[in-house]
Amino acid sequence: MTPLLRQCLLRMADDHHSLEDYEGGVPRWCNGCGDNAILAAVQRLCRGEDLSLEHTVFVSGIGCSSRFPHYMGTYGFHGIHGRAFPIAEGIKMARPDLDVFVNTGDGDCCSIGAAHWIHAVRYNMNLTVLLHDNFVYGLTKKQASPTSPKGLKSNTTPRGSHLDPLNPLSVTLGVEGASFVAQAVDWIPQVLYDIVAAAHRHRGFSFVRVIQRCPEFMPGMLDPWLQDPSKTLLLTHENGLQLAPDLARIYTNHREHDPLDIDAARRLASSDDAIPVGILYRNPEVPCYEELRRAGQARPADRIRASLEAELDKFTVWPAGDERAAA
Amino acid sequence: MIMDAPAETQRQIAFHLTGAPGGDLEPVDSAVRPALLAPYRDLPALRYDYPVVLVDDAIDEACVCSLTALVDDMLRDSAPRGVEGERVRRDVLRAEREIRRLVAEGARGMLSDLWARAAPNLADAAEHLKVDGELADCDHELPRRVVGHAWHSVQRQKAHRFHADVDRLVQALSDVLRAAFIHSEPGRRPESLQAAFGSLHRDQFDFEVMSRLLGRSAPLDELPPDRRERIEWALEVLRGQRFFDPAPGTTLAQSPEPPFEYRYSSCRAAVEAFRERLPAVVEFVKAMSIAELEADGRYARSQHDAFFQSFDENSLSRDELARFPDYLVCVHGDESGEVIDLLSSGLPVKVLVETEEVLAPEHFGVRMRSTHLASTVVGLIDVFAFQATSSSLYQLRERLLAGLRYTGPTLISIFSGTATPSSDLPPYLLSAAALEGRAFPAFTYDPEAGPDLASRFSVDENPQPELDWPLAPLEYADASLQRVVEQVAFTLVDFVACDRRYARHFARIPREHWSDETVPVDQWLALDPTEAEARVPHILVVDDNERLQRLIVDARLMHAARRCRELWHGLQELGLAHLRFEPAPVGETPTEAVEESVAEPPEAAVVEEPAADDPWIETPRCSTCNECTGINDRMFAYNDNKQAYIKDPHAGTFRELVEAAEACQVAVIHPGKPRNANEPGLEELIERAKEFQ
Repeated sequence: MTPLLRQCLLRMADDHHSLEDYEGGVPRWCNGCGDNAILAAVQRLCRGEDLSLEHTVFVSGIGCSSRFPHYMGTYGFHGIHGRAFPIAEGIKMARPDLDVFVNTGDGDCCSIGAAHWIHAVRYNMNLTVLLHDNFVYGLTKKQASPTSPKGLKSNTTPRGSHLDPLNPLSVTLGVEGASFVAQAVDWIPQVLYDIVAAAHRHRGFSFVRVIQRCPEFMPGMLDPWLQDPSKTLLLTHENGLQLAPDLARIYTNHREHDPLDIDAARRLASSDDAIPVGILYRNPEVPCYEELRRAGQARPADRIRASLEAELDKFTVWPAGDERAAA
Repeated sequence: MIMDAPAETQRQIAFHLTGAPGGDLEPVDSAVRPALLAPYRDLPALRYDYPVVLVDDAIDEACVCSLTALVDDMLRDSAPRGVEGERVRRDVLRAEREIRRLVAEGARGMLSDLWARAAPNLADAAEHLKVDGELADCDHELPRRVVGHAWHSVQRQKAHRFHADVDRLVQALSDVLRAAFIHSEPGRRPESLQAAFGSLHRDQFDFEVMSRLLGRSAPLDELPPDRRERIEWALEVLRGQRFFDPAPGTTLAQSPEPPFEYRYSSCRAAVEAFRERLPAVVEFVKAMSIAELEADGRYARSQHDAFFQSFDENSLSRDELARFPDYLVCVHGDESGEVIDLLSSGLPVKVLVETEEVLAPEHFGVRMRSTHLASTVVGLIDVFAFQATSSSLYQLRERLLAGLRYTGPTLISIFSGTATPSSDLPPYLLSAAALEGRAFPAFTYDPEAGPDLASRFSVDENPQPELDWPLAPLEYADASLQRVVEQVAFTLVDFVACDRRYARHFARIPREHWSDETVPVDQWLALDPTEAEARVPHILVVDDNERLQRLIVDARLMHAARRCRELWHGLQELGLAHLRFEPAPVGETPTEAVEESVAEPPEAAVVEEPAADDPWIETPRCSTCNECTGINDRMFAYNDNKQAYIKDPHAGTFRELVEAAEACQVAVIHPGKPRNANEPGLEELIERAKEFQ
């Protein structure tokens, strides 16, 4: 098949971007914050895939991580608390041609936005979702979040939190319609990049939980994993993550895991041993909601008006004798 | 009676060689049919593929449905198990038989209408019919109706894609113009602002003031005149398209003039129409391309102006043309010369060639120009060729649709078997006999099906394609009323026997003279020539009284059969090449090579080995946390991947290096040795740096 003329012409007019093109404002995150690593990985991905600036949107809710759209040179929408998913879904329905990313924190996604999160997984719209999980509400100066470890003393739990943390991976894998679930850590940049790139390539709702450091309010919490590479379990597979030799020498704890095996993925997600890092589950066969609903079709104003009127007419009480009353 | 066996054999051989009957040999003066076709005398009483329903608004295979299949589906849904279900089943099957009879007698109409006519008391069951559409029997109109209907279904899908594309562009360009208007001086006038406002609170606003405020505060953002002109031109062309006919009110683009016609009954007319419309096609493709660039804001005059100025019909690719409707040309086999010219031109045409007669009345040569048109077209390489008989058209509808969906020219060659009044067989059986007897073999040549001929050419559509002639069991009662089953081949000679015009080539052997000296036609053709000279070929037929007869065949007809078999061998060689020429593996199989390449780990990141005393950073492991750059951004900097490296070791102190190493949570900074021996607190710093060396 030869490409269509229009595709050739568009390719001819393509710009190639440098990493700086994707940079927005100067990040105000703390030094040592894992958000910086995620930002760098995403900007590298945009450059690597040569994403068009005007066709890429970052949507966020509220929290430290949700400042993300400000630091990208693309379009962005800094939304309201917990509502990043519905906003992103609306964008995708109206403009399925756009690359839509969602940046959300453990509070934003797993607490305030939990209902939206569950249904977003179920809808399986083609979004790349990065859950910045630092186990705490940082923007509001240390409050316990749903993923905070049991016993964490915070402003809202001065005697230590009482509950075991919620596991975002297990929850996502338990929802019908899940199609891509992965976990990364901010301190292994190459693996973080590979996972974000795989998530972006996946057609569907790609959920990546990134375990990240919060040097201000959770200092030292992740030190055992930083200092002991054997506490990180790298999941490898020919259809998943593949390790560069130098990385494989440092992180010697690997396991072959087929991303199509959802039972194994669920076992890994809920294990208490080493942190599993890699693609836990990927099923490219799950249909996307926007395709089921044939989103993106031209909707001219007169047609929208006509369909709205047809809907409202259903509730109209017509005068007696009007022929529409009988319809 | 005692037979004079040698003399009788001599007379049979004489008939075979000369065609002149003698002795006890009887001429075939009444209608006969091949013995294998004996069970199908009352066709309307049998359940088979026809009639078919040309289903309204259906796509792909579902656009043509067999009545029998629909009734089966209906019974699955509506007939419960048990006595009641059995009664419904019986009534519905009776209705099906009645519809089949009505259609065979020439009735036309929708399935729902004929159902109401055939079974007025089964209106409840009719509700379980999932589809509706015109019924078509296997008659002289079948090829044209089925192909036309399938073509229409494919064009409807094309129209859907076309309108979605055009509507999207019209909408995007209209939005550009609308946005430009809103930002323009006329768009900020009070009346424009008022018109853009809802009626409910309109009275509470002073649009004069609003207009003045907006005019002062926001800069004007007019479209450049040349861009406006381009967009307006593209919109005009897109909106005025006459290629597809949309359902009213469903699309944004439709000319007030009637849409173009794409069905023709002559090749010349189709070519003329194509030539006449070519400028409109060129203009439309140009408008689409400009619209796509403008909608994306990527039209660059320096790059694109010159390109579009020289844009003409030579710039159109086949895929570009494939977005427009295909021309459907329906002709008869006699116009094969024009058909080849048309197909070789590469135009987006779908040509249906109907062949009504395979045998030439004057001789037994299989008619070259009609039956072998399709195989000739295979030589054109990029033409999709599909050949079938009416009887197999329903079974092969997926192949037919593949041909209609193909982006290049397609030949559809169908034998309908309807121009043979000298045969008592209905067209369905006659065309089935042509397929079985290899007189009109079915095949497909799909240029996009694979890289080699073996994968592009298929004769799988024929019965038992690996054999010279298909075999089927013939079951009958012999003279002593004992059941006999034997395997019988269906050959070209059996097909010819269906036609009374060729009766002179056969002679009936009285039953008492049946002997092993005559052999079935397929076996005779397989004999050594010298052995064949001493034998006479025969076929088995039944007469009107269902009595089995043995007919011997003359040499002229056998010559035609031999030639037919050779032609079939030619097709077999093409279509079954994968069976005969299995490519031997050379070295590693491609699968292994792929697996190897997948398993290969990514290239290792190279970390430059530093001099022992120099500070250095394991850059690929840097997690971009800003700790080091926050300490000294002249000494530490980020590379193209936003990972830290030591930009200038002299731009800071050893203390800063050690502090950065301590702050780095992934411990990738190595401070090296101090460069300035006079730096204060050096001893302590060297001690702290030890764990990072």
